[in-house]
Amino acid sequence: MKVTINDVSMDFAPGTSVIDAVFAAGYDVPYFCSQEYMSPIGACRMCLARVGAPRKDREGNWILDEETGEPKIFYFPNMMATCTTQVMEGMVVDTLSDDVKRVQNGMVEFTLINHPLDCPVCDKGGACELQDRAYEYGTGESRFVFDKRHQEKHHPLSEVITLDRERCIHCKRCVRYFEEVPGDGVLDFIERGGHTYIGTLEDGLPSNFTGNITDICPVGALLDTTSRFRGRNWEYDHTRSTGMDDAGGSAIVIDARTGRIERIKGALNPEVNKTWIDDGTRFGHEYVDADDRLRSPLVRKDGELVPATWEEAAQVVRDRLGGLSGKDIGIALRADATLEEGVAAKALAEALGTGQLDHAPRPAASVVPQQAPATLTDLATADAIFVVGDVTEEVPIADLRIKDALKGVTPPEMMAHGVPIADLRLKEHPVFHRERLSVAAPYRVDLMKHAGRTASYPAGGEAALFAALQAIAEAQDAKAEDAEAAAVQLDDGQRAALGMSLADAEALVRGLREADNAVVVIGGFVLATRAAAAAAATFAKAVGAKQLILGPMANSYGLELLHVGPSHDRYAYPGMLEGARALILSNLDPAQDPDVRATLEQKDFLVVHDLFLTETAKIADVVLPARSVYERDGTTVNLEGRFLPLQAAPVDAGESEDFVGVVGALGDALGQRLEGRSVRSARRVLRKRFELDPAELGPSGELYRPKGRPAPRVSIRSDEAVGGNVLVTPSMLRVEYLERNPHLLALSGGSRLRVNPADAAQHGLGDGEAVSLRVGGVVRRARVRLDAGVPAGLMLLPTLPEQPVGLAHADLATLTRDERELEVAG
Amino acid sequence: MVELETVPPFFADKQELLDEILGRYPEYGRRSAVMPLLREVQHAERYVSEARLAEIGEIVGMHATEVKGVMSFYSEYHGEPVGTYHLQVCSTLSCSLAGSDELYDYLVEKLGIVNGEVDAEGRFSLQKVECLGSCGSGPVIQVNDTYYERVSRSRCDALIEALSRDEVPEPWRARGGDNEGADKADFLMHTVAAGEGETR
Amino acid sequence: MSDVADATTPITSRHDPRYEVVMYRHVGIDGAWTLDYYRGHGGYASARKALTTMTPAQVIDEVKASKLRGRGGAGFPTGVKWSFMPPVDGRQRLLVVNADESEPGSFKDRYIMEDDPHQLIEGIIIGCYAIQATKAFIYIRGEYGLGYRRLVQAVEEARAAGILGKNALGSDVEVDITVHRGAGAYICGEETALMNSLEGLRGNPRLKPPFPAQAGVYGLPTTINNVTTMTSVVHIIERGADWFASMGTEDSKGTKLYQISGTVVRPGVYELPMGATFRELIYDLAGGPKGEAKGFFPGGSSTPPFPWRDEFLDMPMDYGTLANSGSMLGTGGVIVIPKEKDIVDAMYNVVRFYAHESCGKCTPCREGISTWLPKMYQKLLAGLGTREDLDLMEDMVRNTRGTAFCPLADACAMPVQASFKWFRDEYEYLVDHGTPMYTKNDWWEA
Ligand SMILES: Cc1cc2nc3c(=O)[nH]c(=O)nc-3n(C[C@H](O)[C@H](O)[C@H](O)COP(=O)(O)O)c2cc1C
Ligand code: SF4
Ligand code: FES
Ligand code: FES
Repeated sequence: MKVTINDVSMDFAPGTSVIDAVFAAGYDVPYFCSQEYMSPIGACRMCLARVGAPRKDREGNWILDEETGEPKIFYFPNMMATCTTQVMEGMVVDTLSDDVKRVQNGMVEFTLINHPLDCPVCDKGGACELQDRAYEYGTGESRFVFDKRHQEKHHPLSEVITLDRERCIHCKRCVRYFEEVPGDGVLDFIERGGHTYIGTLEDGLPSNFTGNITDICPVGALLDTTSRFRGRNWEYDHTRSTGMDDAGGSAIVIDARTGRIERIKGALNPEVNKTWIDDGTRFGHEYVDADDRLRSPLVRKDGELVPATWEEAAQVVRDRLGGLSGKDIGIALRADATLEEGVAAKALAEALGTGQLDHAPRPAASVVPQQAPATLTDLATADAIFVVGDVTEEVPIADLRIKDALKGVTPPEMMAHGVPIADLRLKEHPVFHRERLSVAAPYRVDLMKHAGRTASYPAGGEAALFAALQAIAEAQDAKAEDAEAAAVQLDDGQRAALGMSLADAEALVRGLREADNAVVVIGGFVLATRAAAAAAATFAKAVGAKQLILGPMANSYGLELLHVGPSHDRYAYPGMLEGARALILSNLDPAQDPDVRATLEQKDFLVVHDLFLTETAKIADVVLPARSVYERDGTTVNLEGRFLPLQAAPVDAGESEDFVGVVGALGDALGQRLEGRSVRSARRVLRKRFELDPAELGPSGELYRPKGRPAPRVSIRSDEAVGGNVLVTPSMLRVEYLERNPHLLALSGGSRLRVNPADAAQHGLGDGEAVSLRVGGVVRRARVRLDAGVPAGLMLLPTLPEQPVGLAHADLATLTRDERELEVAG
Repeated sequence: MVELETVPPFFADKQELLDEILGRYPEYGRRSAVMPLLREVQHAERYVSEARLAEIGEIVGMHATEVKGVMSFYSEYHGEPVGTYHLQVCSTLSCSLAGSDELYDYLVEKLGIVNGEVDAEGRFSLQKVECLGSCGSGPVIQVNDTYYERVSRSRCDALIEALSRDEVPEPWRARGGDNEGADKADFLMHTVAAGEGETR
Repeated sequence: MSDVADATTPITSRHDPRYEVVMYRHVGIDGAWTLDYYRGHGGYASARKALTTMTPAQVIDEVKASKLRGRGGAGFPTGVKWSFMPPVDGRQRLLVVNADESEPGSFKDRYIMEDDPHQLIEGIIIGCYAIQATKAFIYIRGEYGLGYRRLVQAVEEARAAGILGKNALGSDVEVDITVHRGAGAYICGEETALMNSLEGLRGNPRLKPPFPAQAGVYGLPTTINNVTTMTSVVHIIERGADWFASMGTEDSKGTKLYQISGTVVRPGVYELPMGATFRELIYDLAGGPKGEAKGFFPGGSSTPPFPWRDEFLDMPMDYGTLANSGSMLGTGGVIVIPKEKDIVDAMYNVVRFYAHESCGKCTPCREGISTWLPKMYQKLLAGLGTREDLDLMEDMVRNTRGTAFCPLADACAMPVQASFKWFRDEYEYLVDHGTPMYTKNDWWEA
């Protein structure tokens, strides 16, 4: 549709909002309430412009202007909110005339009458939309002589978000965000008219995605408590990188000042996270700045770990390893290492001549789908989704993309100025089509709130669940071919495995196969055994669904793709802990388990590369300070197979190095030029291996699809379903860092042991009680949380890198009240 | 929400009422029941506590916050208890021209409470409200759910006295025009005096 | 007419031989709200006629031909609105009756619901049939307790008698009614805010498009009409479009319920053919002003007031004439302003109403109408205003005109502007002297 904006004529797709037409034409109108990826509501009235359009007469001919002979433009009697007006053929938009200016002025004046104008002490100063717009479009003076509305200035909405009610300009972005994006109406307007304010009645803001409101608040009303009063916007260095807390690969911006990370914000990746991030990703960075962060290498001398230079440390490593046969040396990385670190580790293993190489945690089954892989966009546009697992905790962004699918609006086309500011297909108070979503898990998971169908199958029964569903699918096939065929017959065991009624299960299977775009989301519980993963893949194929596999950590996919793995299953991580004579461990802490610790103490040589003096580092011979995920340059691959860039923020991390740096230093000591000695050299390998250039990734990253058959993968465990009385669950919050993340610690109340109330009564446990418990060897401290959504006889504990998702055994005799009360800040 | 554990749910023993209210709306419109449910609570308890907001939220599938957002939007639900007799005096233009400001002042003096207050006994509370749709028969006092119109001084006195004895008087009929109960002869005379005949 | 014989029954314009009372014929009569009474006086014949002898399209055509315009304020042609409903596509279709009646000076719907609820139900049956809706909601303002109870009772009676239900009036047409009670919010009379409120959301207006006919309540095709729009339909079907269209003026047909309040001898509701003049209503029916009058609101407090001049008093009360004279017919609720009421005080009262009723969604209304404007009036009335303040008020109010999300802000701004236009002398007197021109403060008679 041809539209003329001031003096620029352009074509737009029908349905485009006028505000987007204005921006696409290179002009500007101020706006406060519109927000990318949310419904336009026309509330702030800042975006008003004079709009006209030609009209047709009864015969369908344009009514012509008598003087010019051109179609006559009929202006709307009122100024139009451009965000809620659609373009029309021949439309004329005026954003520059005095009339428009007067009205924009008036709106700025109205907006400011109750605004405190405390910009000098406001964290948003310098990045405030109101400040900018008032400067551009206001008169600079107010004629409002009365007392401004006095309201609470420091209202803690939760442990991580502070609300200044006086600064709020009622754009409703935050309220709409909760309703439209995570679908949790935990914040709302209270009262009406001039008394309207935002507030909550919930205890804190019970949602996993609360921090995004601090990104979208146009003023300084909603602030990230972790960074409040820490610095002015113009003092921050903004580094765009990728969130490494999970396999989602959300784009983030790291704001740092004088060598310290002050906050993390969401960044735009339209294919992945749009602009949203979860609270774990946003607030979980404080550990990086913990006082006990290692800043230089340590070398054991006379039984004590003492500071050393990298050269000294590398010499020690060289000398000690030199006395060993290469194949006795084990190397393991945590699964959020970058591809470049993976290349470095492989190069080192090769140089040493060892097959004992792995990354951990690494589930029994592959995290790379062998057929019909789904992207997050596939997920967001699916018409039937079946989730097995706790996707919100595993890959939080997938939770939000599932909600996109439930809303049923496809991602918008990009425009010249980026994401459309006002996508008129999005409506306030959207209907979530929950019937599109089915969720199965061994306990009540958060996403079930939004699911049309839920199933609680017995923990560890994933293979049986998929087998039973497969039986239903086959019976339906038979029925389709032959109406006389017997109805679905399941034995009692199969029925129990479903965790839902047979009718529900049949409807689920039918729904998936009848859908045009079905996606099966396969979580960590399924990956815990190869049998379950295989059954899931078979089932997905049978119903014609794509698969999205939720790997346990940020780069699980990439490290598997790169084959940072052992040459034999004996050499997989658990085996190497037992069998290797020397170990180089990066960001892994197996010595939390006292039995493992005892084994490690017997090793000839132990090198630990980590941020802190962990249990394992304490018994190491050499400790190398590691860079955090925010301090690394590199590449990661998210659960879709999308290559995404990491960029190091300017953080003062002492002499910390990533594993590339470790290998560089060791290579120097060994006198070898190893392939992964620098990011650049590692990338040369990656370019060859994947035929894409990690240095040249676009803003959305690059989706990689392996050609041909993937390299054989060596499994990590024997493929037997393990029983247990504790289910280790995925966790959005990284428990290993929780105690060094004071705000998240306060928000979460610490690591939780979720117990069914009846069980709790039996064990004499009270809600909130601090306990410790040995689970599979690791002593875990946690706070009891009574939860009726936990099946009887099972307790839930969040995962650690050393304690992968799945069933585990806990010795209930070791369950004790923790005298050392958990420190809960806040 | 802490309260929720200690106060028995309001609708626990009112399943029939609950079913009737929910039955007014289609299942996909369950949320519509939020207003009638709020009214039931307001009516019975004279305010809506946070525990009730949470309870209603549970019933209709809303967060307590959203229920509060709805509740606080309207002027007839209250977050603090109102008196047994909640006196709502219309103060909008037509009533004001019929003396509602003076009526309000009179009540303030008589009851010793002002707009938004409840008396010590919890018997009376006073609220200035906006137009009640009684503009032709002002001034008007809405007592709980009943209108008392054309309130004169003597009617006001009688009303307050009756309510003080916990007697709730039948509202008197006070209307105008085609819904009038006024003097017929007077009117007819006037029409005749106007001197026009035909039916239009 | 026989009801009038009893001297205790109310007097109405039915006694004025010039007019026939149609919609208010049962209003004011004890017990008229029962089904027995209503049926005993010919009730439900019109609905039966529609359901048994006409197709839905014929009903719409008849309403179109009658030229009935909506009585909720905007005056949109009802038949045309009904024809906006999309073709039947298996989705549930809804009729919503707007009984929120909260505009100051309006009280016509109230007495129908209190005294003659079956008339409304009959109109709903016809309306539902015409637009092929099976379900109707009546959104009645919360304060109308008696009206609510009478409506609920009437719906129950009608259901029990088979007038409503799967086979309404014995036909194969399904109609059911839910009465939904508001809780005190003028804005919920605005049709999109009403839909939000009915859905259990906050009563903020919502975006159009989609229009209610495409996606209204619960996203379903919905038609929204005022109470007396629906009751007018009863008589249009019963007596024919021609009968209805024979009354009124060029662009405004039929009879209408006018209301009059403020300082007149006999305030109340009067049913008159459209196009009757203000003078007829004010003088002939309402008995003229009590004391001297200086102006009047022609159609509720949101319609710009007129000064007390012959040119305005002799104006026919129809949609077009008023629109062309810088005001609106609105709900037809005339409010007479006496000379002794200072205009600044009167307008502060009006502004306070809209300030109280602003939903708070949009900036000009929340900050301008709901916050700043009442403060300006308070300043003036405290004797602290200046001439500059008057200019500021006018300029600020101009910024609220046509800039808000919904018409509520205009509903306040326009009368304020008119008061400046016609009565600026009183504003100036106040700021110059520090006291109002008129200070009478005892309006409570008796
Ligand atoms: C602020 C505002 C308040 C309104 N209040 C009412 C009302 O109380 N009753 C009503 O019928 N229409 C009211 N309306 C008009 C409705 O929006 C709508 O036009 C009307 O219900 C349509 O019915 P009709 O076509 O039968 O007139 C109001 C409009 C606005 C802008
Ligand atoms: S004008 Fe704006 S604030 Fe006022 S009632 Fe309408 S939407 Fe609400
Ligand atoms: S009205 Fe707020 S952006 Fe258009
Ligand atoms: S002005 Fe009081 S009822 Fe309308």
